[in-house]
Amino acid sequence: MTYKRKKYHHGDTHLKRRWRLRNRKKDLDEIDSDLKEENAEKLLNQNVDLDLPGAAQHYCLHCARYFIDEQALSEHFKTKVHKRRLKALELEPYSIEESERAAGHGNFKFPSKRKIVTQNNNSDVIDKDGDVVLDDSTASKKKKIDEDDT
Amino acid sequence: MRIETCYFCSSRIYPGHGIQFVRNDCKIFRFCRSKCHAAFKKKKNPRKTKWTKAYRKTAGKELAIDPSFEFEKRRHIPVKYSRELWEKTIEAMKKVEEIRQRRSNNYIMQRLRKGREVEWQRDVREVQRDISLIRSPAAGLKQRQAEEETAMDIEPETIEVMDAKGRRTVVEAPVMVPAMREMVEDCGEVDL
Repeated sequence: MTYKRKKYHHGDTHLKRRWRLRNRKKDLDEIDSDLKEENAEKLLNQNVDLDLPGAAQHYCLHCARYFIDEQALSEHFKTKVHKRRLKALELEPYSIEESERAAGHGNFKFPSKRKIVTQNNNSDVIDKDGDVVLDDSTASKKKKIDEDDT
Repeated sequence: MRIETCYFCSSRIYPGHGIQFVRNDCKIFRFCRSKCHAAFKKKKNPRKTKWTKAYRKTAGKELAIDPSFEFEKRRHIPVKYSRELWEKTIEAMKKVEEIRQRRSNNYIMQRLRKGREVEWQRDVREVQRDISLIRSPAAGLKQRQAEEETAMDIEPETIEVMDAKGRRTVVEAPVMVPAMREMVEDCGEVDL
């Protein structure tokens, strides 16, 4: 290997780290199966797990990510990353069956398009939690104001 | 022994080749070579990667829907072995392959023909739009004709010539004609 060719991948470590198996995130087809109602319900109403961010109470279905609180989640819905993910999920994800069809084993099926919307985060349980969080913040603000007054 | 298909490029994987990845939901992803495996690790979309079969079929570059594709596929139905069926199948496979080849070649030729048609239409449009840029062969034709007429009218020039004996005569000047090919005689080879 010549010296020059050796240098082409200088500083690629951060990329390679992301491709490592242990850093593997959910694939689009896995997320697609998560979007089914029975799975979605389970994922949106998870038990408290203190190891996960926000105790696994604020989960974005489409991006397969945990957020620390309601606010972070709603902020996330406005981001480009999330919107891009919604766009990517619009087309039916690629699967092993499709790779076989493309190889000429059976007729090829063209991917169908569908409408994907951000999950509805106004379900009762989450709403209550959100309210509680809001109350806390207002209370602390009030306290702060009080402190300022005194 | 089974010839598998690559998850990424849909090519054939013969026994002893490639690598496979088993995801934690038990799905097996097979790859024909490290190129495909690396692309999968980078989460590339095979539908958008130009060199894969999936791209070529979704983009309509190759024949995608045809009854000849229905012969070879996973059916999940066990077939009891019989020698006669086996022999017939082998014969049929050759025939099916031949028909499939012909149809897919035909499909590509049809597409190319379409391109040629479009090209022709584009040329016609270009000529119609830019016709003003071409100098017409009839441009200035009348002017040239008028010039020629005037040229014919010019009287031949006359020159006064003095004889040796001092007599004066008026002689017509010879008209200068550029040398034509016919005038030059063939002199054979000339050494210089």
